[in-house]
Order: sequence, then structure tokens, then C-alpha cells
Amino acid sequence: MTEPILEIEDLNISFYTRKGEIPAVMDFSMTVMPGETMGLVGESGCGKSTVSLGIMRYLGKNGRIKSGSIKFKGRDMATMSDEELRELRGSAISMVYQEPMASLNPAMKIGTQLTEVLTIHEGISEKEAYDRAAEMVASVRLPDPDRIMGAFPHQLSGGQQQRVVISMALLSRPALLLLDEPTTALDVTVEAGIVDLIKDLAREMGTSMIFVSHNLGLILETCDRITVMYSGEAVEEGDIDTVFNKMRHPYTKGLLRSIPVPGADKYSKPLVAIPGQLPLPHERPTGCNFGPRCDHFADGVCNQHDVKMHPVGSETDRHRSRCERIGEINWDAAIDLGDVGEPIVPGDVVLTVDNLKKHYSVSSGMFGGGDTRTVKANENLSFDAREAETVAIVGESGCGKSTFAKVLMGLETATEGQVTLGNLDLSHIPVEERGPSTVSQVQMVFQNPFDTLNPSMTIGDQICRVLEMFEVGESDADRWGKMLELLDLVKLPREFATRMPRQLSGGQKQRIGIARAFAGRPKLVVADEPVSALDVSVQAAVTKLLTDIQRESRTTMLFISHDLGVVRYLADRVVVMYLGEIMEQGPTEQIFAPPYHPYTEALLSAVPVADTHVQKRHVVLEGELPSPLNRPQGCPFQTRCNYVIPGVCDKPLPSRTFENDHVVHCHLDTATLETMEPVIKMTDAPTAAE
Amino acid sequence: MELEQLGSLEIIFGILGRFLPVWIALGVCLIGGYFIRAKLGQFGRLWDSRIGLVGLGVTLFWVFTALFADLIAVMGPLEQSFTFGMKKSAPGTVDAENGIVFFLGGDNLARDIFSRIVYGSQVVLIIAPIATLIAYMVGSSLGLPAGFYGGTIDTVMGFMANLVLAFPVILLFYLLVTPEVRDPTMVNLGLFEIPWSIPIALAAVFFLFPIGFLCLMWFTKYEKNRGKLQAYMGVTIVLGIWVYVGLVFDADPLGILSLDPNELNVFAAVVFVSAPGVFRIVRGLTLDIKTRDYVAAAQTRGERPWYIMLWEILPNARGPLIVDFCLRIGYTTILLGTLGFFGLGLQPESPDWGTMINHGRPFVRLADTAHIALFPAVALMSLVLGLNLLADGMREESLKD
Repeated sequence: MTEPILEIEDLNISFYTRKGEIPAVMDFSMTVMPGETMGLVGESGCGKSTVSLGIMRYLGKNGRIKSGSIKFKGRDMATMSDEELRELRGSAISMVYQEPMASLNPAMKIGTQLTEVLTIHEGISEKEAYDRAAEMVASVRLPDPDRIMGAFPHQLSGGQQQRVVISMALLSRPALLLLDEPTTALDVTVEAGIVDLIKDLAREMGTSMIFVSHNLGLILETCDRITVMYSGEAVEEGDIDTVFNKMRHPYTKGLLRSIPVPGADKYSKPLVAIPGQLPLPHERPTGCNFGPRCDHFADGVCNQHDVKMHPVGSETDRHRSRCERIGEINWDAAIDLGDVGEPIVPGDVVLTVDNLKKHYSVSSGMFGGGDTRTVKANENLSFDAREAETVAIVGESGCGKSTFAKVLMGLETATEGQVTLGNLDLSHIPVEERGPSTVSQVQMVFQNPFDTLNPSMTIGDQICRVLEMFEVGESDADRWGKMLELLDLVKLPREFATRMPRQLSGGQKQRIGIARAFAGRPKLVVADEPVSALDVSVQAAVTKLLTDIQRESRTTMLFISHDLGVVRYLADRVVVMYLGEIMEQGPTEQIFAPPYHPYTEALLSAVPVADTHVQKRHVVLEGELPSPLNRPQGCPFQTRCNYVIPGVCDKPLPSRTFENDHVVHCHLDTATLETMEPVIKMTDAPTAAE
Repeated sequence: MELEQLGSLEIIFGILGRFLPVWIALGVCLIGGYFIRAKLGQFGRLWDSRIGLVGLGVTLFWVFTALFADLIAVMGPLEQSFTFGMKKSAPGTVDAENGIVFFLGGDNLARDIFSRIVYGSQVVLIIAPIATLIAYMVGSSLGLPAGFYGGTIDTVMGFMANLVLAFPVILLFYLLVTPEVRDPTMVNLGLFEIPWSIPIALAAVFFLFPIGFLCLMWFTKYEKNRGKLQAYMGVTIVLGIWVYVGLVFDADPLGILSLDPNELNVFAAVVFVSAPGVFRIVRGLTLDIKTRDYVAAAQTRGERPWYIMLWEILPNARGPLIVDFCLRIGYTTILLGTLGFFGLGLQPESPDWGTMINHGRPFVRLADTAHIALFPAVALMSLVLGLNLLADGMREESLKD
């Protein structure tokens, strides 16, 4: 057997803070063989990033490796001197971080930064180093390497920056590459390109990789093996196929059951959330850390002593799980779905958006003079939404979905067109002029749970303030009572009324955000990526709450998201946007099946799916999103489209209509669109969760 | 006649003994605070920082000195000894007539320097924090809208702030205290006469800000709650006008409140030069905080801009503002010292430290009499140092995890 590249045994890492020692990683073992890609997956605070920093031996002032060994190519890294470690970092072991802009020195040209790696680690001449760097830039598929080498980091887009960081990490041909959430800050179509690149490079160069991510789908697409972490411990380790289909730890099972995969549906196969919350590092239970949230918890077995990793199957399977009851649990048992609601029957049209335009003018002159250029943030938006219906607005950053939300909320007024809610045209009335009854009818759930509540006011006071603004309730006492009812509605204990936001977890804050939005019995709720910042196991619960409340109050919901998985699961209808324009709209099933708009096709292919039975057709978009200041004439998508027809695509966009109000705005003719192949195919094998 | 002299150790222990009430209060505060530090928020974290704790100790020392001045001082601040030899006497000289010890010696008018420093802390610790507070209200009232609205409002106000900041401060002070500028002229307003001068006009503007600031706060918070709104506004306006008329125009109908014209000058001058600094920091924080989702949430429920500025943005900017506040009290203390030193500040006989240093100035050249200016300077330095350390400690702690 070949020697492993990296061997971690019984690693314990702790951070020492004012509150004492906080164990961040406990009893962690992992082996990475040459050419192997190991996925490290887990929710925030599970210690996955600490492990990768521990491998680099870069834990900062207050972190320390307490015990255990990390062997790189058979040598214990603890015995290496600082000098040797420095030699190793960046040449034999490289790391790619989440934020590309933060990994590049903003004051140095890309070329200089790349050349430096080689002149320092390999001591070769400047000229030779430059040539090799340029070669590497070309091999990460960056266009025009010479221009890139002479550019400063801020002149590149996020995706290009991350490619540069990857090329820098690979320059000295490392034996091990650590990728810590390398694509989390990027858009899905850009992410797909990077993931593709990483896979190819690893194959070509034979580099071993450790891929740290919270996204199971991404791990599935990139890795050979996977280690699932929970609360500082590895809970399951094995080959991708084994762990996804024959998992032997309840947490892995719960995790897979709480993310939407094709086939999940809010009526027939709703997501099942893992109950409870992650324990804080200093409040971990005795015995199994997952015990308090586990369906299979057995008193006297799971909470007696620290649980060790147990091998599953034969030695060659390399499959291990940290569960005391592997043999006792029926892993193929059907999951209790809870009460599955009847499909909602949408009512009358509540919201009509007609030819909405929002333009901003930007002047480039020093004193406000000079050229004025127009940024078309929203162009010709037309769609409608019915009572109790969920309409998803899908698109990547810069597609204008947030601007549209602002116009709806009255934070901006439209340049042209109409937004009719009931009988009222909202498009030109700013929120200050709307009056409480209208304002309470259109409410919003915000994206970032840590930002959505005023940190210096109690939860109760904040909700009461909303009620007061909406003129609900007669007196302070009356409103206080109504506020407590709202807490019941979002399934939070009434004691939370007197708490401050910092005492709540992200999921709980988001529930308060939902309570606030529904306080005035709104007709329309705009949910701007309400769960994307939450941990996977909490997402499902918040999503369910949101849909339950919406179903009960028959509120129309506009669900803004870039995550097609959640959209497919939640939405009744989908609107796909690109650069401020609608590319395609229609009922959800029809959006996810051909005929597609070419952009939808790429989007579908780009979204990682955490299901080994899904086969995706590979569609990768080249290039970057054009700046909104230089919008192409005609179809905005033509610069990246795989089907572009020269001379045709710069004409105004026609619309192709299919059954059930399914509209595709594309120059391709109906016949071509209809013969497109589906992107996602399900193979027949049953999923393990069933 | 040779006067009795105490040795250095006797002086030190004598002074430490005089400060006994301060030590007791300080002990109670620091030890008591340790046990309730979890409830003190930002201040509670000071107990985790050595630097911050020293700063808090020094600052509180002067606060308690000001509070217990009557117990600590051996003489009144203006009292003179008529015993021969007490003028410019060395530290530790005992007054032969009544046995009073001049721990830090006597000044050129035979007043006890120790007692004057102790009483001087009262003057400094009343004027500096209040002036800073008013500067804060002026700076916030202007900085919040500048940051929140941006655009022309921001440009105009930022420019004016820069104008004030760029003007030489000392020259400004000299202008403000020139007799032609300072001396009030009586202006007949038909029904009654009010005193009028440029410093009074400035103070009249500045002192309006706290009243407006509070009224705006109550109005935006309780707009839809008539009862509470009337109560809060009523109290604020009645008290505000009473204090305003008393302090600015020296026309308190009840005759309780009055402010010496010199002190009003000092207030006007200090607020005028501090407010632009506050304006800048508040504006910067506003620019940052206005992008938060809770501000958008407040907008989407139809809140007025001023509600958002005063209740959503300002409370969440308090961390850096408290730190800056401590630093700025220090600057103001130095500013008061500077004013006093140039003889521009309070009455010449006032025991404030700047004026004392000014009085000691001619005697610094001789080693025997240098203490007249030296000890107030040490007092000034220790208070400013304490405030700076306090601010440093708080900033450091707030940056940690």
C-alpha cells in the first residue's frame, strides 16, 4: 500500500479564551492518500476550518494543538522547526481561502504576487518564474494571461480572483491542497466553473486535496471521500457513495434529509428538519454530542461515555461512524414525515407587475457633470402572483432582484411601469407616503439573521413597535399580548420577549424576522433569501415554518433566491432573471424541465445536488457577468450564451410562449427550445433516505 | 521666623490620609463593580483589562475627589494665609498660626495649592463632561442626517465642519474673549431685555440642540402614543426652557440657575471646537450602520428618518462613541487648561488647573517655586492619562472576540 500524504491521528485542538479552554476539535483522525480528494463537511462551528488551519499549523495566538499527531508524508509536523514549516507552507501544502479579495495583496500586481511564490520557494530566476506563472494563469482558464498578470486584484472579478488564488496555490506543485469554502462567496454559475477547474487540475497534477465546505452537493461533486463533522468531532467517514447511500450515523442521515434534492416536494416529500440546535462548545453533553437531537437516542447507552469511531463493514471499506447503536438502528426505515398538508389552491391575482423599469443614472464627472450613464437595474419586468401562491425570483448577484424588492417595499420608486397590489399602484409611492394600512400589507423577511434585528432593543419591544406602526391593538398591554401570540406563531417560547437579540441563535432571529413580517397580516411577503445564511439543519425548520404560516394566512410570497434546490422545493411559479431582465417564467415543474432558456439550463447544471442518483448534464458558462454599465444590446445573456446566434441576439428579445403561461425570452425558435435535453436525470435506484 | 517643614514621607502619607474618603469610595466601586461586571455591559469588560482598570481607577479617583472635595481640602480654594512666609512656601510647610499643613506648598497669594487642586477638580469635572456632552448632542444631531441622507446635506455640513476644524483654535479663543466681542449688550425685545454677544449667541444655538434632540427622540418614539408623548415632551420642554433661559441669558425666573459669563464663554468655545470632531465620527458610524438590515426593516415598516437615526442607528453606534467620549473629555480637559493658561477661561481666581498653571508660570524658572505650576500640571496630566487609558481599555476589550 502506498504511503498516505496526510495522516491525522487523535487530534485535539483547543482555543484558550477568557472563558477558559474551548475544545474546537476533539479526537479527530483522517487519512488522505495520494491523489485523493477528501471532503470535510459540517455546519458552522463544527471545527472543519480549525482542522484545516491545524494542518497548516496556523492557529493564531490562542489556539493550540493539545494532543495527537499530524503526519505529512510520514513526518510528524510537530517535530518540524518554524523554518521547515515555512518552507512547507505554500510549496508542499497550499491553501485557498473563502474570500479571494482577502487572500491577494491589493497593493501588488497579480504577476508580482505569483512570481514571488516561485522565487521564494524554488529560488529560480525572475524571468523563468514569470513564464511559469503566466503558464499557470493560462491553465486556470483565465482569458488573456498577460493582461491578468499586469492587473491589480481589484481590477478582476470575484471569480477571476479566486482562479488567481488557485493558480498561486498550485504554482509550486504542492502535494496537498487545502480548499476552505473556496466558492462560497461566488455565484453559482461562477462556482460551477471553479469546481470544474479544481476537479480537472487535481486529475492532471495528481494533487491530494482537502475540500472544506458546508455544501453537501459540492462535496459530492468534487470529492472521493468524505468526513462529516459535528460539534468538534468527526461523526462519519467513508467513500462518497457509501456515506450518501449507506450512512451509519443519524446526523448524516438527518443532514441529507433536510436539504432539498430533486424529487423532494413540499407536499409529497417534505424536508425533515433536525430538531434542536447545535450545542455551544462549552455546553456539549456527555457521551454523544448529537444525542440530544437524535431520534435514536437511548438513555444509558448514548450519554454514558465518550463515543469512539467504530469501523463499519470490512477494513477495506474505510468506513467509520461515531455511533454507539450502529447495529441497532434500522437505517432503511422510512422517516416520519409529520403532517403533510394539502396543496394550496391559489386564489385571485394579488400582485401584478407590469413593464416595470428601474434605472439609475451614474455620472462620471468630478463635479457631478461629465457623462451620465444609465444603469438599468430592472428592465421590462412583467409577471403576476396569486393569493397564497409562492413565486420565486431566481438569479445571481446583479440580476436586479434586490432592486425589485426595494421598489416593491417603497424604498425606491420605479422609473416606469406599474406594480399593482389589489387596486393600488405602488410603483411610484415611496414608503413614507404609503400609510400604515398599505405598509403592513407588503412586508419583507431579510437575508442576514445577524443583521435583521436591532441589537439594542429587546425582542418584545421590537415586535410591539411593529404592531404600533401598523396600528394593530388598542393599548400597550393589548399589543404586548398580541406580540406573545406572534411568538407562539413562530414557535418560540414567550420568555424571548424580554431577551436581547444577541442571546438568540441565527435560526431564532430569523423566526423573529418572520413574526415581524407577518405581524400586520400582510397580503404580500417578500422573502429575500431567508434561509441562505442559516445552517443546513436549521434551514429546513425555518423554511417549514415560513410555508406553514403562509399557507394558513393565505399570503402571497415572493421568494428571492439563488438556490434552485430550495426554489424547486418551495415555489409554485418561478421567474428567472438575468441582468435586470426576465429570461424565463412559468410553473415550477416546467422551469425545471425542457424547454429551457439557455441561462436556466446553465443555472440548473451549476447548482450542486447532494444526491448520488442525480445525473446532470454538464453545462458550464464561460466568461463573467457583464457590468450593468455595459449592457449588451438586445439579449443581455448573449455574451455568455452557449447558443448565441451572431447577428440575431443583439435584436430586441422576442418571447416564446408555451402552455401554462410558461414564457421563454430567447431568440432561439420554439422548435429548438423544445428539443433541448433535460439537465437533471434521476437514475432509478432508490435513495437511501426512502 | 522659621516655619516648620514636613519631610517627604510625612507629606506623602499626609496626602494619602487626606484622600481617605476617596480610597474608601474607590475600593467599594472597584470591588463592587467586579461582582456585577457581567451586568455592566461595555464597562464590565474593563475588569478584564489591566490598562482599562488603571484608567478607570484614576478617573474615578478624580471623580470622587470632586465629590468629597469639602472633606479632603484643608482650606477653601480662595482662602489665604496671612502668616509671614506662607507665600510661595515649599511643600509640607506648616502654618504657624493655625497649624494647617500646606502639603503641596502655597502659591504667590499664600493659598494652599493642595486644596486648590482638590477644588479645581470640581470645576474641571463639571465643565469638561457637560461641555463634551453638549458637543456630542450638537455633533450627533448634525452627523446623523449627514451620514443618513448623504448628498448635498452631507457635503455642506462636512464643509462647515472642516472650516471650523481648520481654523486655529487659539486665535478663535482670543477672538471669543476679546472684551468687544465678549461683553454683553442689552437688547430690548419689546417685552423684556436680554443680554446679547457673540458667545451668548453661540451658546444660545448650542444649548438649543439638547432640547431639540430630546424632543425629537420622544416625538419619533411616541408619535402614536399621545399620552406618553405629551408627558415626555412636556417635562423636557418645561425643564429645558428653564435651564436654557437660566444658563444662556442668566434670566432664570426662579433665580436658582445662573452661569458666569466667563463659564458660558468657555462652554461656547469648547463646544464649538469639539462638535465638528463628533460630527465626523457620528457621520462615519451612520454611514456604516445605515446599510444594516434592521435599518431597512425599519424603513419598510414606515418609520420616519429621524426615528431610524435616533433609535436604530445611534444606540448601535454607542460602543465606539463611548470610547470617543472618554477620549474627548480628556481633550476638553486639556482645552480648559489651555484656555486657563492663556488667561482666557474662567475668572482669574478660579482654582481650575489651567488657571493655576498660568498663575504659577512666572515662578517656574526658580526651582524653589516651580511647584506652584507643577502640581496642577500633574493633576491635569493624571486625569487626562486616566481617561485615555480608560478609552484604550474599552476599545481593546471591544475589539476582542
